[in-house]
Amino acid sequence: GKSHVLLALKEELVSASQLEAEELDPDLAPDVEEEEVEEEEEENDLGDPAVLNAVHNSQKGLLSSLGITAPGVLGTSPASLHFLWQTLDHLVTLPFRPALLSTRSAACHFGPRLPAPDPSLLCSPPTSWPLRLSHLTQLHPQHQRILKQQQQEGRPQSLPAKKWPQQPDFYANLMTQKEKDWVVKVQMVQLQSENPRLDDYYYQEYYQKLEKKQADEELLGRRSRFESLKLVTPYVQKAGVYESVVRIEGSLGQVAVSTCFTPRRAIDAVPHGTQEQETAAASSQRLWVLYRIEKMFLQLLEIEDGQQDGPAQPRDSEQQSSRVEKLFQALKAQGQNNLEAADDGFLQALSVGKGKALVARLLPFLRREQAVSLLLAITRHLPFLVKRDVADQALQMLFQPLSKCIRHLTFHELLQGLQGLMRLPPGSSERPITVVLQNQFGISLLYALLSHGEQLVSLNSSIKEPSSDHSAWTDVVILTAWAIAQTPTASLAEPLALPSNLLPLFCHHVDRELVQKLEARLEYHFRWLRNSDERKALCLLKLTFWLDRD
Amino acid sequence: MRLVTLSLILSLFLSPEKHLVLLRDGRTLIGFLRSIDQFANLVLHQTVERIHVGKKYGDIPRGIFVVRGENVVLLGEIDLEKESDTPLQQVSIEEILEEQRAEQQAKLEAEKLKVQALKDRGLSIPRADTLDEY
Repeated sequence: GKSHVLLALKEELVSASQLEAEELDPDLAPDVEEEEVEEEEEENDLGDPAVLNAVHNSQKGLLSSLGITAPGVLGTSPASLHFLWQTLDHLVTLPFRPALLSTRSAACHFGPRLPAPDPSLLCSPPTSWPLRLSHLTQLHPQHQRILKQQQQEGRPQSLPAKKWPQQPDFYANLMTQKEKDWVVKVQMVQLQSENPRLDDYYYQEYYQKLEKKQADEELLGRRSRFESLKLVTPYVQKAGVYESVVRIEGSLGQVAVSTCFTPRRAIDAVPHGTQEQETAAASSQRLWVLYRIEKMFLQLLEIEDGQQDGPAQPRDSEQQSSRVEKLFQALKAQGQNNLEAADDGFLQALSVGKGKALVARLLPFLRREQAVSLLLAITRHLPFLVKRDVADQALQMLFQPLSKCIRHLTFHELLQGLQGLMRLPPGSSERPITVVLQNQFGISLLYALLSHGEQLVSLNSSIKEPSSDHSAWTDVVILTAWAIAQTPTASLAEPLALPSNLLPLFCHHVDRELVQKLEARLEYHFRWLRNSDERKALCLLKLTFWLDRD
Repeated sequence: MRLVTLSLILSLFLSPEKHLVLLRDGRTLIGFLRSIDQFANLVLHQTVERIHVGKKYGDIPRGIFVVRGENVVLLGEIDLEKESDTPLQQVSIEEILEEQRAEQQAKLEAEKLKVQALKDRGLSIPRADTLDEY
């Protein structure tokens, strides 16, 4: 009865798999289950429906069927045929349905369709059993060819003596079925996605092609439509709240539940503000400034590119100058609310390191008036900028372009700028110049301005005549000298460039006592003069001065 | 990833089979896969480290191995029948270690010559990441 059925079945199965083996082509995805079902249905009249059902189920490869826990089944049969019998026998006698249910409930939340591992791999010794290939088994084409060859040759299915150790393998099932299922579940959870077509495009496409092929074949008249199993991840209900760390009981460490589009928060990043107590408004203001700077930088890059190509046509230079104009306007433009003072937009940009770089690179492109206005704005607000630059120390990059611009200053403009530094701001007893002297950029700029002034004065005799401008100039110089003398040597900043006409300038305007004090300071600067000749020249100058005065 | 998971599980279910694990540092381990976890950490039983040099190979018995998942390159079952079919020749441990040392030496020398030749021509190739020896 039963054994007869089993034998017949076995033969059918063997022939069926031989058929499949011939059509080996992963793309075609041999219809394993389809074949089996066909054969089984033919056999229906032969035997016990329960038997057939059980076998059918085993080949459907439900997960529970993998739990052949009795090691004896796999371990004790020497010959393959006998082994096969035993397997089928075993399958039949095992309480299938109940096992199914219990496994399902244990491995909670498994999806409607369970992943179907290749059942043949499960119940066969790999060498001798002709491999059943579902579309989930992927073999190297060479491997497939070899297998096909083997089956065609009708290779004797003999087990090597080495295998199937005589003593039972005690370690064979260290992991219980539950544990295995659990690990699979955890790994599957990590794979699940709400948008499989996006995340797992290739497999979805492949499966679609497969289904279409099967549908076509069905249309062409193959008897029954059998769905090949799809690998589906178990559906785990995603929590409404996004927790940064997802913990699954018993799992080790974090589980990557999120996808690449929703990366998990590995560290709780706390924003570190270097500024003191920024209010919400202030931070949004800052963001706005940063945004402006980025926009302006893009414009600057365009201008620089235009420059590189060379002024080919007048049209290009027009375009270029219009770009520059636009950028300049943007620089001067206000923040979100136009209530701030005139220079504020510009100063805000300068408070950021990148803004300074922007201005430094823009200056060469500006027209004289524009550059001068920027320069004067900087000079006016020098203490403020110096204070804001403590973190970046980036003002230095402005020095070069600004010093080029200084040469174009008129005397009047220069005076305007310098006078601003001398004035006592309301509510403070400290002149801006003191702060300036302690900053490298500040002192360099100051020296450059003074040097230029001196040059203008010496070149232009009209200024020498007593006039309000000239006296203003003298005041500026004296105040500066006094401020320098006041500052302790150690806190005097090192200028980026020391103009050679400074000392004569001071000597001309300042009394002896003050000059002595100045000397000490200026010598402190002079020691950095690399050119010793220059130093000698200065010493000579000093000497002549003293001789003159005396 | 899906197929890796599945094949891993399948291998487990056939655990009387030997498995071959290739590690990132180039070592080949052969043993019985007893346990896995979600990171693909492996527990191998009666492990043997197989060193291949040319046509020879040697097995060093290692016992139990616990391998961290990230170091695994691939894992496969061994077809024991085919295992005995191999054209390779098994030699003793001392011999294979000696062969390996000689091979490493030869490789180093060749590398040195190459680097020197490149240097002579004014080229320098930065050293690749030495973590993955392969």
